[in-house]
Amino acid sequence: MNRLGTVIGFTFKNKVRTKSFVITTLLLALLITIGIHLPFIIQMFVGDDEGGDNRIGIAANGQTEIAQQIEDYVSALPGNEIQFADLEGGDAAALNKQAKDQDLKGYLTIAPSEGAAFPAVEYVSENGSVPADVQAVLQPALESAKTRFITEGALSDEQIRQLTTPVQLSTVSYDQLAGTGEQNADGPEGDKFNPMNFITVYVLMTLFFFSAMLTGNMIASEVTSEKSSRVMEILITSVSPLTQMFGKVIGVFLVGLLQIGVFGLTIAINLMLPYNREVLAGFDLDFSQMPFDVLAYGLVFYVLGYFLYALLYAAVGSIVSRTEDLGQAVTPLTMLSLAAFYIGIFSLNNTDSLLMKISSFVPFTSPTTMIARIGLGEIAFWEIAVSLALLLASIFFFGWLSAKIYRTGVLMYGKRPSMKELRKAMKAYKI
Amino acid sequence: MTERLILRDVLKRYGEKTAVDRISFGVQEGEIYGLLGANGAGKTTTMRMVLGLIYPDEGTITYGGRPYGSEVQRLVGYLPEERGLYPKVKVSEQIVYLAKLRGMSGTDAEQNLKYWMKKFDAEEYYDKRIEELSKGNQQKMGFIAAVVHRPQILILDEAFSGLDPVNVELLKLAVKELRDQGASILFSTHRMEHVEELCRNLTILDRSKTVLQGDIREIKKGFPREQILLKTSGAVAGLENIPGVTGVEGDPESYLIRISDEAAAVPVLTEAMRQSEVRHFEVKEPTLNQIFIRSVGERHE
Repeated sequence: MNRLGTVIGFTFKNKVRTKSFVITTLLLALLITIGIHLPFIIQMFVGDDEGGDNRIGIAANGQTEIAQQIEDYVSALPGNEIQFADLEGGDAAALNKQAKDQDLKGYLTIAPSEGAAFPAVEYVSENGSVPADVQAVLQPALESAKTRFITEGALSDEQIRQLTTPVQLSTVSYDQLAGTGEQNADGPEGDKFNPMNFITVYVLMTLFFFSAMLTGNMIASEVTSEKSSRVMEILITSVSPLTQMFGKVIGVFLVGLLQIGVFGLTIAINLMLPYNREVLAGFDLDFSQMPFDVLAYGLVFYVLGYFLYALLYAAVGSIVSRTEDLGQAVTPLTMLSLAAFYIGIFSLNNTDSLLMKISSFVPFTSPTTMIARIGLGEIAFWEIAVSLALLLASIFFFGWLSAKIYRTGVLMYGKRPSMKELRKAMKAYKI
Repeated sequence: MTERLILRDVLKRYGEKTAVDRISFGVQEGEIYGLLGANGAGKTTTMRMVLGLIYPDEGTITYGGRPYGSEVQRLVGYLPEERGLYPKVKVSEQIVYLAKLRGMSGTDAEQNLKYWMKKFDAEEYYDKRIEELSKGNQQKMGFIAAVVHRPQILILDEAFSGLDPVNVELLKLAVKELRDQGASILFSTHRMEHVEELCRNLTILDRSKTVLQGDIREIKKGFPREQILLKTSGAVAGLENIPGVTGVEGDPESYLIRISDEAAAVPVLTEAMRQSEVRHFEVKEPTLNQIFIRSVGERHE
C-alpha cells in the first residue's frame, strides 16, 4: 500500500508539472471564461446597436385601424421595447427619407385594402430583413389584427385571444394516468423534464467521454514511454505490476480530477460575477433543482467506467514499444468510448429504446447510457444494481487481464505483438 | 563466506527453444561474479530470471536462502544495459522515487543519493533532467539509481558500455567499494579485461548451456600457454625452426612467438640468449579473451 502511494504521488506530481498540462488547463479555463461571457458580450454589442432606438415606423396608407391594432397589441405585451412612429405619405422615397431622418429600425407598409381581403404588409428596412426579435412581436400582432379584420367585431377580445393561442399537447405516461406513478405527483410531467436533469446528464456524459479518452491516452503514452526508456525494467523489479498499474491509473485520475476541479472553479467564479448572473437569470436555470440522485449515480458510474477504460489503456500502452505505434493500438478503445458517447447522446430523447436498455448493461457503454436512463427515463433500482455489479465484475476481470498483459507486454520489445504472440509469451513467462 | 544468490539447475524454455539449459552457480557475499556469453547465449534470460521478471521452468533461485518475493525485491538492485531512467524527470526526484519503491525512506534515499553524487563528482546534475545529461553521465545516474537503496544483490548488465576510460575507472572503483561492503554482484559484460580485473569466479554461457565455469585462475591453468613474449637487445633469427614453434610475429627486438607445446619455451630462451641479450621473457598465460573465443568459438565451428 505504501508503494502504491509512492507511485500515485510520483505520477501525479510529474504529470501536473508538465508544461503541456499547465498550458492546456489554463487555455481551456480561458475558453470557458470566454464562453460564459459570450451572452454578456453579445448583449453589450446588441445594446449598442439599439442605442435607445427600437422604433418602427408604420405607413398606414389609410388603414389606420389595422395600424392602431398592431400598436395596441405590441404595446400591451409585457416587457415590450418596441415603439411605433406613424409615417405619412405613400411614395417609397418619401417614406425611406422619413425613416432615415427619424433613425428608425425599419417600417411597415400596409397596402391599401382591396375588398374584404386583409391587406398585404411589408417590412422595409435598411438591409431588407426583419430581426428575429421584431418578427416574433410583429407576427402575432399581425395575426391578431387579421382576425379582428376578418371577424369585424363578431368575436369578443377573449374569443380572439383564445383563437390565437396555440393548442398545448401535454404528455402523461400510463402509470401516471393510472395514479401508480405517485412519486411524480408534484406535477404531471414529474421532474424528468427539468432542464437541470437534462444538463446534468449531458455534462456527465461529455465529461466521461473526454476523461476516458484524454486520460486514457495519457496513461497509455506514459506506460509506453516508460517502456521505451527502459525504466520499466527497473520498475517491474521493484513493484508488482498490479501496484504499478493501479498507481498510475489513480495518479492520472487525480490529475483529471484536479483539471475538472479547476474548470469547475472557473465556471463557479464566472457565474458569481454580478453582470453574468443577470444574463444567466434570463436562461431560466434554477440550480437548486439540481438532481442530486442523478449526480450521485452519475459519479459512481463515472469513476467505475473511468477505471475500466484506464486499465485497458494501460494494458494497450504496455504492448507497444514506441510512442509512434500507440495511436493505432488504442483505436479499438477509442471506438468503444465513441460508441458509448454517441449511443448516449443520440438517445437522450428516447431513453427507453431497446438499444439503450441493452447498452446500459454492457460495461463499456453503461457509464453513459445508464446515466441517461437514470436521469431522463424510467428505471427500476434492480436494473441500476445489476448494471453496477456487471461493471464492477468487468473491472476485476479486465484489471486482472490487463495486469497480465502489462506484465508480459513490458518485456516484449520490437514490433507490436499479436494476440496470439501475447498468449504464447504469457505462457512462456509463466505469468 | 556464504553464497547469497544461488541458482540451481535453472532451465527456461520459450516454446520449443530452450533459452537457458540447467545452469547453476552461486554468488558469495562480497563477490563480483562474471556472467559471460555471446549474444543470444541466454545471459539476458538468466538475469531476468534472477530479477524475478520471468520464472524458471525448472530449478530454483534463492536469495539469502529465500525464494523470490516482494521482500527480495528490496534487496536487489539492477542496472539495465540501456540506462532506464525517465528522460524528462529531475535526476534527484526519480532516484529518490526508485529508492522509495524499493522500500527506502525518503530522507535516507536523499542522503545516500548525495553521497553518490559527490563520489561521482556529479553534484551539479542534481536538479537536471536526464535528457540534459551526456550519455556517460546518464549511465552514472543509472548506476546510482541501481545502488542507492543499498542492495545486497546487485545485477549489472553491461555496466561500463559507452563510458570513457576515466568514468570506467570511476565506476570500477564504485563496484569494488560495494563488493568490499559485502554486496553480491552479478556482472555481465563483453569486455573480458573488466572480468579479469574484477571477478574471481565466472560462468561462460554458449547457446543456453554452461561451457566453462569456476575460478578464473583455475580456468586459466586448464588452458595451455601458447604464447611467448620475447624482448631482446638485438635481432634473433631462426626461432621458427625450433620444434613446437608454430609462428613468429613482431619486429626485431620484440617477438610474439606462438607455440603448440609449453616444452618449446626452454629451447626458445636458449636460442635467444645465444644470439642476443634477453631483456624480457614471458610464457604468457592465456587471456580470458582467448579462452572465451576458444571455448565459444570452437563450438560454433
